[in-house]
Amino acid sequence: MKERGGTNGGERQAPEPVFGDYSLLPGTSDECFAAGAEPHPYAREIVRLIDNVGRAALKARQRLTTGAFLKGGITFNVYSDKKRGERIFPFDLVPRIVDGAAWGRVERGLVQRVAALNALLLDIYGEQRIIKEGVIPESLLLKCPGYLPKLRGLAPPSNVFVHIAGIDLIRDSKGELLVLEDNARTPSGVSYVLENRAMMKRFLPYVFQHAHVRSVDEYPARLRDALRAVEPAGCDDGAMVVLTPGPFNSAYFEHSFLARRMGTPLVQASDLFVEDAKVYVKTTAGPQRVSIVYRRIDDDFLDPEFFRPDSLLGVPGIMKAYAAGNVTLANAPGNGVADDKAIYPYMPDVIRFYLSEEPILGQIETLLCGRPKELEHVLAHLHELVVKEVNGSGGYGMLVGPKASAREREEFARKLRGNPDNYIAQPLIQLSTSPTLIDGQVVARRVDLRPFVVTGKDSWVLPGGLTRVALVEGSYVVNSSQGGGSKDTWVLQ
Amino acid sequence: MILSRVAESCFWLGRYVERMESTARLLRVNRAFVLDVPVEQLARWRPVVVVSGEELRFREHVGSDAFTDGERVEEYMAWDPRNPASLTNSIFWARENARTTREIVSLEMWQTLNSFFQWMKGGQGRRLWSSDREQFYLRMQELAALFWGVMYGTMLHEEPFDFVRLGMYLERAGQTVRMIDVRYHMLGPHAHETIGTPIETAHAMALLRSCSATEPFLKRTRGIPSGAHAVDFLLHDEAFPRSVRHCLDRAAHGLKRVRPGVRDIGARTQRELGHLEKTLGEDGTRGRDEAHENLTHLIEGLAATCEAFQYDFFGQAPTEERRSSADAASST
Repeated sequence: MKERGGTNGGERQAPEPVFGDYSLLPGTSDECFAAGAEPHPYAREIVRLIDNVGRAALKARQRLTTGAFLKGGITFNVYSDKKRGERIFPFDLVPRIVDGAAWGRVERGLVQRVAALNALLLDIYGEQRIIKEGVIPESLLLKCPGYLPKLRGLAPPSNVFVHIAGIDLIRDSKGELLVLEDNARTPSGVSYVLENRAMMKRFLPYVFQHAHVRSVDEYPARLRDALRAVEPAGCDDGAMVVLTPGPFNSAYFEHSFLARRMGTPLVQASDLFVEDAKVYVKTTAGPQRVSIVYRRIDDDFLDPEFFRPDSLLGVPGIMKAYAAGNVTLANAPGNGVADDKAIYPYMPDVIRFYLSEEPILGQIETLLCGRPKELEHVLAHLHELVVKEVNGSGGYGMLVGPKASAREREEFARKLRGNPDNYIAQPLIQLSTSPTLIDGQVVARRVDLRPFVVTGKDSWVLPGGLTRVALVEGSYVVNSSQGGGSKDTWVLQ
Repeated sequence: MILSRVAESCFWLGRYVERMESTARLLRVNRAFVLDVPVEQLARWRPVVVVSGEELRFREHVGSDAFTDGERVEEYMAWDPRNPASLTNSIFWARENARTTREIVSLEMWQTLNSFFQWMKGGQGRRLWSSDREQFYLRMQELAALFWGVMYGTMLHEEPFDFVRLGMYLERAGQTVRMIDVRYHMLGPHAHETIGTPIETAHAMALLRSCSATEPFLKRTRGIPSGAHAVDFLLHDEAFPRSVRHCLDRAAHGLKRVRPGVRDIGARTQRELGHLEKTLGEDGTRGRDEAHENLTHLIEGLAATCEAFQYDFFGQAPTEERRSSADAASST
């Protein structure tokens, strides 16, 4: 089938090209077009294929995807309206295209980064050489809320801490892909990668078939095999389960999706219990041993005996089972220290320290306000920097210097001098754009990319990842809660 | 192996789909019945509410005088969010139980329920309700038929499947008994003045239709259906898929399949089901008064069986929205 709108044989009118009047944002790179509005060489064929679909047909297909997501129940829950608050994550049918030749370097860079994160965690919960040798100051470590000193001396099965990593990447105005942040706890979004791909195959089959895109479907099997490979010794008949907070959690669809696609039970904390430092699941045939828990709940709610005695959530005693080496928890507890914003600036040194290699992927130049010299520089350049609280998230406690007023900057400078340790500063990055269909027109919208790295005995990188797009004109915010959507990511063969 | 919580959700998935279908059919049949048969006002729509175990709540929310108002009864039974047995609630909870067991039920089962749910939620259901009520109820029945067929053809035939079917059969047995019970005074010993009259025949026919039993029944008997014959058929015919006998047989078979053979799990349910079968067996040997009493025993026995099942396999009391009206013993 050819994706042509409304014509069926006989005289065909050429459809209106999709990218006919696409224009770039000044000072910003684009994932599909080079300066001068010529497609990048690797994207040329796909631009031609999508142009042939025609604007009207593309728009019609875009409309159909909404119903398809809804019917498939591919939704996320909105907390405020518990009972029936299911929304779809807005989806854009124009794919983000990734040069296959350049992807190999990204893959190596991601694997390297995950290896360093893992070595860092093993060391921090072990000997702490990196502190002793002065690469990371001890005071900084002790201030990280994700650091759990109680876990020192405990190593997870096969020494793997970060089984699933989501390393967020952005492309700057020079066209360089940079690491924006590491997610080593419970990165989410992979179900949308697979479901977005299914939508592309359904609604643009001809384009897809001729684009030669690397497959993403093996993710669940890769994850299952990776987790099986780091199972505790002597638990061959133990079950693997996915642990969810429950059906009202905003990411419940993803939890259920992964359980389904890995062929494992989806459990809630109340389905599990611990006896003699072993984990069991309650079944209609009595208790069954569990050896691997892919948990999608935060450390704080994992085990009330260990983390929060006031909490009724979690599986009492599961940390005892973990300490006894009787269960693999993925990701490992305590990982929050590795993806802390205060640790991020040290990551290039962390890579050099453990791997004796130069970092393959760059990252955003970051100033630690806790260092007097850097603080001085930040204070002198507030008008061109973004200053963030190390433990802030969602854009709170942040100053976007270029957009702030002189008075706002002055006030912020006062806070900064009062508690410099609490802040980092970065230049404002012009996130790259990707062509996106808005109201029937293809326009430039900013994107980021979350690739997923799965680690068992080895690391494997999902080709592509989740591309999030800021659907609002000029916006840098790709979060779904603030007008963000997603699109399929095509790594070409 | 199957998680207790998942088993419970499967069981209730089966019950809600069955309940929805049964309620839709009852409403559809009753619309035709009240047009045809001259019965006293109160006997026209009240039985529909009673069968669902909703009599008290209906009185409270809608009012006792509304029993004579078919439109208000239909509205309550189809749409009212305060009615836990309404069609919309049954669909919502069937889908919700499927949503929380999506890694267990087949993709096709989920899509069947979800697209129907979206159809209702998007307003199309309401439009059909206004324009063609009969077709609206038929759509519900078709959904159930589609769902059972899709399930049979796409899901692994092992424990979760068995739990869905156990839910279906126990719900169905309960529906059939209550439908008989609510019309019994029109058919049974207290209806001396109507026995053998066209009114009794009409009631018997409506009862059969409410159970999709008209044609199967006619294959078993000659002549004009009498109430006693119809009741006997609906209770005892082994081959009729909605008879109490058939449902209990299938439930016993399903129970055997899900009992793990360790630590006597399921023994309590087995015992209750045994009592129930005994009660059903005694029915035919008694006089008519005792037979009515026996219906009450059957309703209680079914509630006890479901309770035992909950105890044996799920290990906790049913949640409020499930308990309400589900096992309500309604006797007229």
